[in-house]
Amino acid sequence: MQYQSQAVAKPYFIAAIGLFVGQILFGLIMGLQYVVGDFLFPEIPFNVARMVHTNLLIVWLLFGFMGAAYYMIPEEAETELHSPKLAIAMFWIFLVAGALTIVGYLTVPYATLAELTGNDLLETMGREFLEQPLITKVGIVVVALAFLFNISMTVLKGRKTSIALVLLLGLWGLAVFFLFSFYNPSNPVLDKYFWWWVVHLWVEGVWELILGALLAFVLIKVTGVDREVIEKWLYVIITLTLITGIIGTGHHYFWIGTPEYWQWWGSIFSALEPIPFFAMTVFAFNMVNRRRREHPNKAATLWALGTGVMAFLGAGVWGFLHTLAPVNYYTHGSQITAAHGHMAFYGAYVMVVLCIISYAMPVLRGRAANSNKAQVMEMWSFWLMTIAMVFITLFLTAAGILQVWLQRFSDTPMSFMATQDQISLFYWMREWTGVVFLIGLVVYIASFFVKGETRAAA
Amino acid sequence: MDTSATMTLNQDDTVEAAPLAPPGDLAVWFFILAELLVFAVFFIAYAVARTHDVALFAVMQQTLDPDAGALNTVLLVSSSWCVARAVLAVDGARLRTGARWLLAALACGGGFLLVKGLEYADKFAEGIGLSTNTFYMFYLSLTFFHFMHVVLGMLVLAVLWHGVRRGHYRRGRLSGLESGAVYWHMVDLVWLVLFPLVYVLH
Amino acid sequence: MSGTFTKSMARNVFYGGTVFFILLFLALTFDSMATLPKRDNRQNLTEEVVAGKKLWEVNNCIGCHTLLGEGAYFAPELGNVYVRRGPEFIKAWIKSQPTGAPGRRQMPQFNFSDEELDQMVAFLKYMSEINTNDWPPNVEG
Repeated sequence: MQYQSQAVAKPYFIAAIGLFVGQILFGLIMGLQYVVGDFLFPEIPFNVARMVHTNLLIVWLLFGFMGAAYYMIPEEAETELHSPKLAIAMFWIFLVAGALTIVGYLTVPYATLAELTGNDLLETMGREFLEQPLITKVGIVVVALAFLFNISMTVLKGRKTSIALVLLLGLWGLAVFFLFSFYNPSNPVLDKYFWWWVVHLWVEGVWELILGALLAFVLIKVTGVDREVIEKWLYVIITLTLITGIIGTGHHYFWIGTPEYWQWWGSIFSALEPIPFFAMTVFAFNMVNRRRREHPNKAATLWALGTGVMAFLGAGVWGFLHTLAPVNYYTHGSQITAAHGHMAFYGAYVMVVLCIISYAMPVLRGRAANSNKAQVMEMWSFWLMTIAMVFITLFLTAAGILQVWLQRFSDTPMSFMATQDQISLFYWMREWTGVVFLIGLVVYIASFFVKGETRAAA
Repeated sequence: MDTSATMTLNQDDTVEAAPLAPPGDLAVWFFILAELLVFAVFFIAYAVARTHDVALFAVMQQTLDPDAGALNTVLLVSSSWCVARAVLAVDGARLRTGARWLLAALACGGGFLLVKGLEYADKFAEGIGLSTNTFYMFYLSLTFFHFMHVVLGMLVLAVLWHGVRRGHYRRGRLSGLESGAVYWHMVDLVWLVLFPLVYVLH
Repeated sequence: MSGTFTKSMARNVFYGGTVFFILLFLALTFDSMATLPKRDNRQNLTEEVVAGKKLWEVNNCIGCHTLLGEGAYFAPELGNVYVRRGPEFIKAWIKSQPTGAPGRRQMPQFNFSDEELDQMVAFLKYMSEINTNDWPPNVEG
């Protein structure tokens, strides 16, 4: 570790992994509820499990992003963090607020929670992914601002690299677009229109800047390729991302009451969205092939390459599959959407956070890389989780195709629930694959506790 | 384009690589490639939509003013020529001439915006918008998307003009100027496809 | 390649391109906002509908159902449920939950008053009258 204050990243990474486990457990509960409908009812109804599953995902990724920023920024800026104390304070505030929110979801009926937390003052709750009580949303903004202040001040007083600037831009964008979660007009179409400004402009916009910055940072470290080379390609890739992604928002405006022309605009631009992901994959492999050193951390390199490939498959290919309006007319809001969502989130964001953790955690623990034994175990977890996710996606895709066929495409369409019964086999297979994913995650965590010979960090 | 290629030869002594080197910065070429791809997909979408409703497109095309389109074509091609002259002038160390050529290019671009703006005003006055019908959706989307490119291109040209007057560019250090120039040629090129496709071809 | 490829140009293109496409997106949004009144059924946005929307939100209906295809995919699409089932069926259905049928997916009991049931129905009716470009493909959603 080059700078003492980088150490604040460690609790962030640990919390991220802990919450990740929670997310997967609730995913398994939901998966089972898909086939055993009354499982855990009425203690944990499906909507609560889903809320916990998706909210935990968002929160742990945010923990991961913040940890990554606290680790990267001092090294990029070549100076200690503006205020490590603030970073630690924010960690506890965010963790406690997050935990309380989850406890609230699980112990109180949602309507009561809304009443207790002042939803009547400003109605923001009950919209997908933005279910958090008002007080939590405000808390997120406060933590985000304190965090942004901290890293922005660090960059301002130190070296301003492109990676740091792109990361800052992504994180500031994340905070700015989150503000739209406070806007909930009573007109449902307007509500939906601007709801996407949080959701889409996050995951297909500013988050991709963060993704690019994290990946570029790790690639510089593990390959030793010139910063200049990596940074200019980073700019090219994120340019492609935003060119296609911003107007690509239009692929959500096909059927929610918005004007018809979005079918053209949305289809055209989002059809090109795989290109930046493809570029990112080519970029990652190219840099690794042109490496100038053999970094002892092979696991981090594997995660970096995996991020490129899986983000391209999940976000690029699976996104493209159903993004054209004539196709989306049939697939919109089906299990195809779920399939794409799972692989895209895993491939792009889960993997890049695990990648930076894989690179940074050994350094934070005082060594250049983990022991060979630990790395082998981590790579096993990589393959277990990644292959499990591929199959989860394939099963959900199969379920989705069948669902579309029976319920939407047929001349004698089946009802929703009758269709669900028809595809339950795929849901069972998805659930078992989910168990494999959990095993992979357990192996991943176990790899942190494997001892063995290590070299001290340079 | 040819003239620019020769200039790259001038500034580069290595024999084997030079003929392949594009003028300007590679970063701009990536951008141009992406933009051309977007336009290409848009044009294909136009063609597909047209085959679904040939009659509507034929009738609606009659409501466009081909003379305005033709005039704009002349303006853009001229401005591209002006930009190419500007690059040549700066390469020959004739900075003031180069700056003047850029101004001429800007004037042509401004003329384009004026003509296009009048066309829009005409259509908007009739209450035509993106949601009028499929043809007008495409006409307005394509031309407005291109219109914005002209505005961006003119901003680039203005920056280049400023740079030329400040003496930022000279033989061997033309990359920035060439980058802006190739971008402007791209804007021109897109119009050369757009105009016949939307205004002329029936 | 002997051609230049500089970071500063790549950065300029990034900023320029990003601003360009944000502006384009804002322009399209501007046009959408002007067009929406003709499509989003706002002339019927009564207080009852607004109250129904709030009920929809504070009971986290989106956590199981889709609404115009957005939400969870665990339970039926409700954007067109008013057309599919009609107001009386909807109310009776909400009142009779959960079914308790073993092994079947369960919907919680929300203890709505009659007034609230009417509000929910008004909201679902409103949703079914939005111009969605003919989505969903059929009444099953």
